[in-house]
Amino acid sequence: MKTDTRNQPGWAPPMEFDPAAAMPLPPDQEADGAIPLDGHILPPRRRGRGAAKLLVLSLAALVLAAIGFDTADLVTRAFAWSPWAGGALAALAAMAVGSLCVMTGREALAWRRLRRVDGLRQHAIRLLRTGGTGAEAKGLRRDVQALYQHRPALTPALRELDAAITDAHDARETLVLTDRILLAPVDAAAYRLVVAASRDVAVGTALSPAALLDAALVLWRNMRLVREIATLYAARPGLIGSARLVRRMAENIGVAGIAGGGDGLVVDMLGGTLAAALSARLGQGMINGLLTARIGLTAMHLCRPLPFPGDRQPGLDDIRKELLRLPRQVL
Amino acid sequence: MAGIISGLEDRGARAVDGLAQLAARFSGGTLRLGVTGLRRAGKTVFITSLLHNLLQAGRLPFLDVMAQGRFIGARLLAQPDGAIPRFDYENHLAALTAASPDWPHATRAVSEIRVALKFRPAGLVRRRLGGVGTLNLDIIDYPGEWLLDLPMLGQDYATWSAQTLSLMQTEPRLSLAGAFHAALTAVDPGGPADETAARHLAGLYTDFLRACRDSNVGLSLLQPGRFLEPGEMEGAPILTFCPLPPGSAEGRSGTLAGLMAERFEGYKDKVVRRFFRDHFARLDRQIVLVDLLSALNAGEPGMEDLRRSLSATMESFRHGQRSWLNWLGGARVDRVLFAATKADHVAAPQHAALTRLMEGLMEDRMRQIRFDGAAMKSLSLASVKCTDSVLTRHEGRELACVQGIPRGRTQPTVIFPGELPDSHLGVGAAVEDRFRFTDFQPPPGLGRDGRGLPNIRLDQALEFLIGDRLA
Repeated sequence: MKTDTRNQPGWAPPMEFDPAAAMPLPPDQEADGAIPLDGHILPPRRRGRGAAKLLVLSLAALVLAAIGFDTADLVTRAFAWSPWAGGALAALAAMAVGSLCVMTGREALAWRRLRRVDGLRQHAIRLLRTGGTGAEAKGLRRDVQALYQHRPALTPALRELDAAITDAHDARETLVLTDRILLAPVDAAAYRLVVAASRDVAVGTALSPAALLDAALVLWRNMRLVREIATLYAARPGLIGSARLVRRMAENIGVAGIAGGGDGLVVDMLGGTLAAALSARLGQGMINGLLTARIGLTAMHLCRPLPFPGDRQPGLDDIRKELLRLPRQVL
Repeated sequence: MAGIISGLEDRGARAVDGLAQLAARFSGGTLRLGVTGLRRAGKTVFITSLLHNLLQAGRLPFLDVMAQGRFIGARLLAQPDGAIPRFDYENHLAALTAASPDWPHATRAVSEIRVALKFRPAGLVRRRLGGVGTLNLDIIDYPGEWLLDLPMLGQDYATWSAQTLSLMQTEPRLSLAGAFHAALTAVDPGGPADETAARHLAGLYTDFLRACRDSNVGLSLLQPGRFLEPGEMEGAPILTFCPLPPGSAEGRSGTLAGLMAERFEGYKDKVVRRFFRDHFARLDRQIVLVDLLSALNAGEPGMEDLRRSLSATMESFRHGQRSWLNWLGGARVDRVLFAATKADHVAAPQHAALTRLMEGLMEDRMRQIRFDGAAMKSLSLASVKCTDSVLTRHEGRELACVQGIPRGRTQPTVIFPGELPDSHLGVGAAVEDRFRFTDFQPPPGLGRDGRGLPNIRLDQALEFLIGDRLA
């Protein structure tokens, strides 16, 4: 015997309404942009305004206040001793504050540019998913073009893009053309950077005399690679920007579908082990080189103003081949 | 007995075609592109624009071989079949790029052209081995009227007569066929085979077909096509037949019906089958150009006629995946592109609707082709882009319009042709106040920038049709 639903609270009898009063169902907000497409970067996470953040901010404020008080104290004491010394110290303090301001401003600018690239990519993903008219994609294309306006090497590509796109292209076609004409040469350059970095790391690891030294080398080379790629695609990232990039990369290193035959770290490791059978150092070099390559490819995904089209995602294949050629070159 | 022999012969010919296609594929050298489309669908302009863009390596950013910079160049070559006139590319282009540009004249006979494309292969192995690849593209141009003969291949005289006469019993054909109907009641199909009567009837029937073609109601199912565009067969006795009402006299020789049936079979054998065998039997790729907008102008009867004509025509082609084993079954078309032409007559935001409308119209045929295993795609294109999409304000609403020079005028103007319907069903007969798609002139100064004729999605069409052979 089932319970009679009529007795439950909130029950309504069947009835008829005037269609004029009906409103369309609001679209499902969750469905839009929640799940990344295969091989796409996760949208930037809205970071919690949690206790950790409050702690960091308050500590930073405390340190700043302490330094400020100490400096003020120092300057007053110096003035009491001699106006010359006081003046010099005050000037030094002013210079420090000024340069700090300039640096902060630059960081903020670089940070904004990186964020804008993120925004462009999200917009592009949305447009690619929903489709739309060419006019909707025009602003996006202009923004992407503006990123590369001051690169002499890309001037022909920019001109070609302007000539190729007509008013008859829809949003998807506009984005695909932008991708192919403007970003393809940048992709190729970035890929060369990644290959070079992974080779450096592989050789460096194989040849370094101490474990600590090669750890430092790998760290330094990876950071440099990320900065190089970010500079190539969008803007020099700056300190905080780099930190944020690294952080986002940590989130995405598994997500960014690094396409290519025999996908996955396991295969890379196996390749490394095979080389390791020949030489332990060489094997380590291979593994470090491939890890660097993965980091570089993730950075490419992250810094690109448009998502990689499915068929043009950079793969590890060429890098693996390049690394396997290394022993011959070195010996 | 004769049927069996001709069947065997057919099968033998088909196997030869299949083998030839296989051989051509093996050598990788040539590709036959079938440009199919009814009258005024834009075949000639399509071919001209395609050739111009390939020769100039022009506006084709979606063609991978161009985008990747692997394209070396194109050149017109002597066509393989010396008995057919060459496609008059230079004159068609001259008409389009003249000081007062106009569209090429209606095509009156078959012509052929071959263009050789040179490119660097994409694959590492092929690049190392060969260095440079060449693809010969063979294209045929012909009057669209003739295409409608193809469905007749599968019919006998009685079936064709019945079908044609029943079509003539409905508007808008009925009012155009008055004279022919009147003459038809006066003759006895079972009477003696009188040459004068046959000639008279065929003449009236041809007049009826002409009236249909010239009327503005957009009738496209007009058979037989040679009556309208006789080509080199002008005045041949084989062209003097017409549908007759069914009667007991069918097939009996010596009667008028017998004579007509004989000529019908002769027409099928000597004209249609030859046309098909010579030009369509060995197609590798096919593009179907559909002039949806003219049909829409004619309302639901026009759309229905278009659907029926295209569906019936497509039946003659053999679609399917090619494989090593099925060459015995004949050559097969393994890629079919349905293209709604003259996309520049509507504003860019409506292109998607145009494509959808065509997909709806050709749904059955497309499903069949997909089932047969051929790759298929549909898009809307304009071989020569004559208009720009602009926005205007009308009663507080933004309307996407097209700006161009309508035919017969000299100054550009902005036109809102109306919103495309969602479906070809329920369009209704009177559509004057819903949409009016205007024909435009080619814009002045075409091709002066040396970049190939401006077009809409010609590159995507080419990428689908031949892109895989340029890899």
